[in-house]
Amino acid sequence: MKIDNTKAQMRKGILEYCILGILDSSDAYASDIIAKLKEAKLIVVEGTLYPLLTRLKNAGLLEYRWEESTSGPPRKYYSLSDTGRSFQAELKMTWEELQEAVKIITTTPTES
Amino acid sequence: MNKTININLAGIIFHLDEAAYDAFKKYLTQVKNALESQEGGAEVIADIEARIAELFSMRLEEYKREVISIDDVTFVTDTLGSPEEFEDDAEEYSSKQTKSNKAKKRLFRNPDEKFIGGVASGIAAYFGTDVVWIRILFLILLFFTGIGFITYVILWAAIPEAKTTAQKLQMRGEPVNLSNIEKSVKEELDGVKERFGRFREESKGTQNQIGNFFSRVGNFIINVLEAIFGFIFKFFSVILIIIGSVIGFVLFIALFGVIASTWNIGGFDFITIDGAVIGFNAAEAVLGSGVDLTLMRVGTLLTLLFPILGLIALIARAAGKPLANGRILNVVGGISFFVGLAFLLYAGGQVANTFKVGATEMSTVELQGNTFDLRADLLESPEGFLFEVDDDKLRIENVSLTIKKSFDSTATLVMKHRARGKSNSDARNRAGQFSYPIEQTGEVLSLNEYFTVPKEALYRGQELRATLFLPVGTEIFLDPSIENLIYDIENVHNMWDGQMIGHTWAMERRGLVCLDCEDVEYYNTEEIEEQIEELEESLEEDIERKIEELELEIKRLKEN
Repeated sequence: MKIDNTKAQMRKGILEYCILGILDSSDAYASDIIAKLKEAKLIVVEGTLYPLLTRLKNAGLLEYRWEESTSGPPRKYYSLSDTGRSFQAELKMTWEELQEAVKIITTTPTES
Repeated sequence: MNKTININLAGIIFHLDEAAYDAFKKYLTQVKNALESQEGGAEVIADIEARIAELFSMRLEEYKREVISIDDVTFVTDTLGSPEEFEDDAEEYSSKQTKSNKAKKRLFRNPDEKFIGGVASGIAAYFGTDVVWIRILFLILLFFTGIGFITYVILWAAIPEAKTTAQKLQMRGEPVNLSNIEKSVKEELDGVKERFGRFREESKGTQNQIGNFFSRVGNFIINVLEAIFGFIFKFFSVILIIIGSVIGFVLFIALFGVIASTWNIGGFDFITIDGAVIGFNAAEAVLGSGVDLTLMRVGTLLTLLFPILGLIALIARAAGKPLANGRILNVVGGISFFVGLAFLLYAGGQVANTFKVGATEMSTVELQGNTFDLRADLLESPEGFLFEVDDDKLRIENVSLTIKKSFDSTATLVMKHRARGKSNSDARNRAGQFSYPIEQTGEVLSLNEYFTVPKEALYRGQELRATLFLPVGTEIFLDPSIENLIYDIENVHNMWDGQMIGHTWAMERRGLVCLDCEDVEYYNTEEIEEQIEELEESLEEDIERKIEELELEIKRLKEN
C-alpha cells in the first residue's frame, strides 16, 4: 500500500464536502473554487475538478449561471441549490462527528 | 518568420505557433479520449476548453503577446494536469463502466512471449495463469494422444495475433485506457531502446568512418543471418517437436508395454498386431526368463527415469519452486536414460538375433470321404490373444487356412509350420515342435484357431499356414466357427471369406461353387461362351443375307 494513494483517497473523500462548503459561503466560479482548493493543497491540478463539478451539478446539488468575463470567455457561476444546501448541512454534521471520532481514537491512549 | 495556426476555443480565436499547436492538439485529444465516454463528458470538455481559453487570455495579457507558444501550452497542461488524472477520479464514480471494461478479456496470440505461434502464452494470458502450465498441457496432449498438435495448429490459425497495444491490453484483460496504453507502449519502447543501445555499444569500438561502415555491414549481415537461422531453428524445432512427439508416443506405449509385460501387469491389452492382441505375458513368451528379461526390466526403468524426472522438474518450476539440484538431476537422468537405452538396445539386439533365420516344415494329413463339415472347435479358444502361456506350453494364435482344388482323388490337409531362429537348424528344430491336433469323425473335420509349442521354444514368429486340397466332386460346409481361421479362399462368385461361412460349397472343375447361396451371381462361363457363339453365327448370317439383298438391288438398278 502506497502512502500517496491513501492520502489521495482521504483528500478525495472530503473534496465534495469542501466544494459545497466553499459555495455555502458565497457563489463562485470554477477558477475561484480551484484557487481556494489549491491554496488549501486539496488539489494539485485543475483538471480533476471539472468532472467533479459537472457531476455535482447533474446530481442537483449545484446550480450555475453564465457571467461575462473581462478576460476570456463567459464563466459559469456556481451556487448551491436547496438540495445542495441540506446536503451540505448533513455532510457538515457527519464531518464534525468524524472529526470528533478521529480525535478520540488518535489522542486517547488505548487501555490494555 | 513563423507560421501560426488559428484555433477557436470557447468562442475566442487564438493564434498558436506550430509547435504549440501540435502539443496542444495532442493534449486536447487525450483529454477528449479520457472524458468522452463518461456521463456528461461533453460538458466537462466544454468547461475545460473554456478554462484553457481563460488561461491563454491571461498569459497573452500578462506577457503582452499575440501568439500562443509552447510555453503557454505547457503552463496550461501543468495547471490542468494530465488527462489520466481526470480519469482516476472518474473511475470511482463510474465504476460500473470500468468494471465491464476490465472483464472484457479477449483471446489473442501473444507475439511477445512466443515459442512457436504465441498460442500458449495467449491462452495463459486469457486465463491468467502461467504460460508454463499451458505448455505442459499441450505437451501432455501431444505425447499421449497427438491431439495437441492438431489443436495447436487450429488455434494458431483461428486466434488472431495481438498486434496493437489495445489488443495486447485486451489480451491481458486490462482496461484499454490512456495510462495503460502509455505504460505498455513505454515498456515496448524501453525494450527497443535497450536493443538500440546494445547495437550502439557494439558499433562504438570502431572509431573511423570506414570501420564504422564495415561494422554496420557486419552487424547487418549478422542480423540477417540471425533472422535466417532463427527461422530455420524455429522451423526445425517445430518439426522436431512433431517427430519427437510421435517417437515419444510410440516409445511411451512400447515402454509401458514392456514394463507392464515384464511384470505381468494385466488388464491393459492395447498392443495389437494384425488385429490380435498381444497378451501381457508377451515378454515371457519372447524373452523367456533369462538374462535378457532382467536387462529389459532394468533398461526400461532407467530409460523412464529421465522423462519422469523432467516432468517433475517442469511441474516444480511451474509451481514456482524450481528443484534445487536441477543440474545434477539432469546429468543423472541423462546418464540413466542412455544406459537404459543401451540395455534395451542390447537386449533387443539379442532377441532380434534369435529372429534372424526362418525355416518351414511341412506335414500332410490325408482325409477320408468326399463330404466335409469344417469346424474350428476342437479346443477351447481364448479370444484375441496372440500369446498365452500355459504351464509348459505356449499357445500361439497364428493359424490361417485356405481351400484349393486338389489334383489327386483324395482330400489332403497340407500344413506349413514356419518359425525363426538364430540359425537354420535352430529355426528348423523349432518349426518341428508344433502341436496342432486335427480330428475327423464322420463328416466333421475339427481344426483349431491356435497351435501350441513347448514353453522353452519361446515365441519366434511361429505361424501355421494350412491348405485344404479338395478333389473335384467333394462338398464342404463351412461352419461359422472358422471365421477367424480362413484366409483368402478363392471361389467362382468372388465372395469374401466372411460371406462364405455358413454355406455349403462344391469343388467343381472351375473352382468352389456355392450350393445354397441366395442372390449370388452365378457365372457359367461355358454357357455364356456358347451363347456368344450362337449370337455371332446368327449375326454373320444376317449380314450375308443383307449383302446378298443389296447386291441384287444394285444389279436391278444397273439394269434399269
